[in-house]
Amino acid sequence: MNGCRMEAVGLGELKVADKPDQVLVCYGLGSCVGLALYDPVARIGAMVHVVLPESSMGRGREAPPGKYADTGVEAALAALVDAGASRSRLIAKAAGGARMLRLAGSNPKLDIGARNTEAVRAALARHQIKLVAEDTGGTYGRTLQLYIKTGRVLVSTVGRGEHEL
Amino acid sequence: MKLQPSQWAALQDMVTQALAETSRSLSQMTTGEIRLDSPQLSFLPLRELPGVAGGPDAVVTAVYVGIEGELQGHVIVLFQPREARAMVDLLLGDPAGTCRELDELGRSALAEVGNICGSAFINAIADRSGLEVRPTPPLLVEDMAGAILETVATDLLLSGDEALVITTAFNGAVPGHFLLMPNTESMARLITTLEAIR
Repeated sequence: MNGCRMEAVGLGELKVADKPDQVLVCYGLGSCVGLALYDPVARIGAMVHVVLPESSMGRGREAPPGKYADTGVEAALAALVDAGASRSRLIAKAAGGARMLRLAGSNPKLDIGARNTEAVRAALARHQIKLVAEDTGGTYGRTLQLYIKTGRVLVSTVGRGEHEL
Repeated sequence: MKLQPSQWAALQDMVTQALAETSRSLSQMTTGEIRLDSPQLSFLPLRELPGVAGGPDAVVTAVYVGIEGELQGHVIVLFQPREARAMVDLLLGDPAGTCRELDELGRSALAEVGNICGSAFINAIADRSGLEVRPTPPLLVEDMAGAILETVATDLLLSGDEALVITTAFNGAVPGHFLLMPNTESMARLITTLEAIR
């Protein structure tokens, strides 16, 4: 796409990018939440593909850095600062957290998508990062893109078009 | 999950039985014969699951049937859009290329495929293991494969790291992905029970 390098951020992954031709992408977000963080001055961004709300839900084994909202947000902030971004300038945008299916055997009250969204909001608030825009909930999938050159964030869907966050 | 050759064989037998039953039921439902060919079984790391059917942003038609009872898990049948339409033609006995868009009839035909597949797997499990299991009503979803599969992967991640994926084709022409995904405890239980019976 016009010389852009699309870099997929898979389940539980965290990626930081600082090259203008890089585009970080969470493809096909369902109940997961994609979080885009961007420093518009340093032009450094990060994306986290959050799978579950809390690291306490883990099974005591090593997990990829972006798997949980609480630890994922923390790791993303640390990685961004390491790469030269300023915490105070960070802009956060999120998409996903849908309820695609009502799974058998799961507690109907346990809407993991909504809990992921809530946990991302809470983790950001704890670190005093403002969530400026989100497109979350519903029952459909989303693809989230962050353009490092401009900080532009796009959400695309199947049958519901594409829009800027 | 590491399986002994004998455990693999038991699992493969069970899947073959389930697919044979699916073929029979589907053929009864339609005018022609529908066969499910040479299934390939593999354990896939859950983080790779969203990409299994053409990539995470590929649009798919998916039918979901849950497994409840003594085993818990998920059965998903996935078709890419063209495959879904080809399948509808096959099911309705229409010449190939008739179905151009999925309408209500096409959707319910596909939901029925999911229903039949899910039930066949569940019957095969029950038959071979003696465990009491039952299917939930089928749900049809058309969306990005990643979004659908991720939701299931998330549930399975709570108990394990892998899913059993079965790939097959209908009449050697229409590829479909079957995902039979018991959670880790259920998988262990299923294997143990199958072994004990052999």
